[in-house]
Amino acid sequence: MEIKFDKKIYSLKAIKSATQAYRGLADFDFKQKGAYVQVELKNINKDIKEIIKDEFCNYVLFSMKL
Amino acid sequence: MEKIKTKINKNRVIFYLSAKIYPLEAIYGAAYVFLDRAYLFLNNRSGEKITVFLKGKNKLSGKQLEDLKGGFLNELLNYAFRIKLSKDSRKLRELIVGQALISAYGNEDTVQENEIGYENDPLGIAMSWEDKYGVKPKKAEKGKK
Repeated sequence: MEIKFDKKIYSLKAIKSATQAYRGLADFDFKQKGAYVQVELKNINKDIKEIIKDEFCNYVLFSMKL
Repeated sequence: MEKIKTKINKNRVIFYLSAKIYPLEAIYGAAYVFLDRAYLFLNNRSGEKITVFLKGKNKLSGKQLEDLKGGFLNELLNYAFRIKLSKDSRKLRELIVGQALISAYGNEDTVQENEIGYENDPLGIAMSWEDKYGVKPKKAEKGKK
């Protein structure tokens, strides 16, 4: 599963913070590709496979405030 | 009135906002308010337009998704206006705070009052009754002749 975050909107700090918070639920890997930060999620916990992407995106947005 | 282009699919509503009209801070503000109600994702492909993806946390009908979008736009307007007001009144706020600080630090009476220690006692308050008026003579004891 991949998520592309626009660098103009999402800060790398917020993405890292969300990755830290969610590290127990999946394996995260992120790369910077041009205007985007691409986050790859692997080995996702079965119970949350359907919602982890949306919840993670919300958490990144929330982390922007911190 | 220009209608905001909207797409509805897969329990989500997608619409585009002009970055020139709505500052990014206002979009963040509105987004924070909606974090508990919906899943949000923002994108900025063209540079001028920001794409907002609002997805219901539960299954929502088309009308409910439209309402969600309407609520978001109202909140966005609220934040955009707040930011504008804050910018417009910035100088006035700085002036008021500056004056308050100057009056707090610049009052000479207050400073002088603070410089006088209690040990100086210019009004002669810190003095015992005996020191001030002397010792009273004792009354003759009853029964004594």
